[in-house]
Amino acid sequence: MAAVIEFDRFSYTHPGAPGPVIQDLSLDIAKGEFLAVVGGSGVGKSTLLRTAAGLIAPSAGQMHFRLPQRAGRRRRAVVFQDGRLLPWRTVAGNVAYGLETLDIDAGEKRGRVDEALRMTGLAEFADRWPHQLSGGQAQRVGIARALAVKPDILLMDEPFSAVDALTRRHLQAELMRIWQATHAAIMFVTHDIDEAVFLADRVVVLGGRPANVAENLVIDLPRPRDRGHADFGRYVAHLSAQLGVD
Amino acid sequence: MMVKNPGWPVRAAYGVAGIVVFVLLWKAAGVFRWVNPGTLPDPFALPDALAQEWTSGRLLPAVGSSLIHYFWGLALGTVSGIAVGLAAATIRRFDLFQAYLARVLRPIPPLAWVVFAIAWFKVSHAGAAFVIAIGVFWVNYFATYSAVRNIDPRFYELARSFGQGSYWRRAVSITLPAIAPGTLAGVRTGIGQAWMTLIAAELLGVPGMGQEMNAAAGVGAYEAVVVYMLAISLVYAICDLGYAWLEKRVLSWRP
Repeated sequence: MAAVIEFDRFSYTHPGAPGPVIQDLSLDIAKGEFLAVVGGSGVGKSTLLRTAAGLIAPSAGQMHFRLPQRAGRRRRAVVFQDGRLLPWRTVAGNVAYGLETLDIDAGEKRGRVDEALRMTGLAEFADRWPHQLSGGQAQRVGIARALAVKPDILLMDEPFSAVDALTRRHLQAELMRIWQATHAAIMFVTHDIDEAVFLADRVVVLGGRPANVAENLVIDLPRPRDRGHADFGRYVAHLSAQLGVD
Repeated sequence: MMVKNPGWPVRAAYGVAGIVVFVLLWKAAGVFRWVNPGTLPDPFALPDALAQEWTSGRLLPAVGSSLIHYFWGLALGTVSGIAVGLAAATIRRFDLFQAYLARVLRPIPPLAWVVFAIAWFKVSHAGAAFVIAIGVFWVNYFATYSAVRNIDPRFYELARSFGQGSYWRRAVSITLPAIAPGTLAGVRTGIGQAWMTLIAAELLGVPGMGQEMNAAAGVGAYEAVVVYMLAISLVYAICDLGYAWLEKRVLSWRP
């Protein structure tokens, strides 16, 4: 299967740090694949995602996009952990943010914003200000903003870690539906093993110092997934053991 | 006991009572000779004094002249203060370049410049506007500079992630809207500062309300002085109210 992103013997050293946080890591994310990245804190999950986002550059090795750049789209779009909405823009204005530098006409932009709002269940909130939203709604706006640019891959950095448990379940189910509707690949960083097994086609565990891929596990379960299923529990248990948690 | 969230009638009643008590104390100070006779104007003589300043054709031209200084000085100081503050906070080399210069010039009170204002512009509108602009410049410069410095850097990361990472794109989509609350608060401070500087500059000789006050005081017409004091207060209140309304509309996105 064609890869969207390819990390090739990727290493990263934080400025001023004595040694690399990640060394010689190679990893492909396939077209349309849902990949979850798990690992302890400080292991370099966010480093991997920020490299994919183009916010930092590899210290050694490479990160490639394997798909051609398409007009009116972005290759990648980031969903941040903190939502990161611009407080001076309405919900619709925030969703339009990534479209403003794309070469598409105004009608197409409006259509994309409406579509992204509809897909995330935010149509009636288009004119709200960010401070009027709940944490879960703010995260949805962040997802809508990323969807609007029709990316080949969505880069999600612990996007549901700041919302309550119930909202989190709702958002996970919604993300499943959105992913199946858009066919975009997703790189989903999380520290929640249950979340990774529920969502992903494949779970990559980062471990070691410097970090590398410690486990590369395909989750072979039908969707929608049942958390009560014995196999679900086995995957969670296996990954928990791998991460040293009970 | 504190009155909780009183309605407007209660607020108006207390507010009017405060002014009435003040005026009565003022009147009493004259009647009971708490101060030297002849140095305290009679509050009840103010309406006559107002009518006289009005009919003699001194009040309105003085107000008009002051407003000309005010608006030009304010506009010049605000625009240049924001522009320089923004440039210093966003362009590293320019920041280094201007750092010591700002330290040297900042502590000089605007009124110290009156000497040069008169030397360069004679006694003119431009001179008064120049002095006012200096005070307003620093207020806006510091407000804008610190507002830029306080922007959450994560917004710039967002800009880069969504194709708005160039200097101008960042400036328009992040920096300007993000500093709006701080900068607009600075502008409002400048509106007050300009007014204080204005009267002081006019007391030193530039035509306007300050000069009329000086002239009236010279002939012992203290009622007329108070008329000008109240006119100053009124014009400022109108400017500030108008600006507060505008600011609220521009910043309607804030909780």
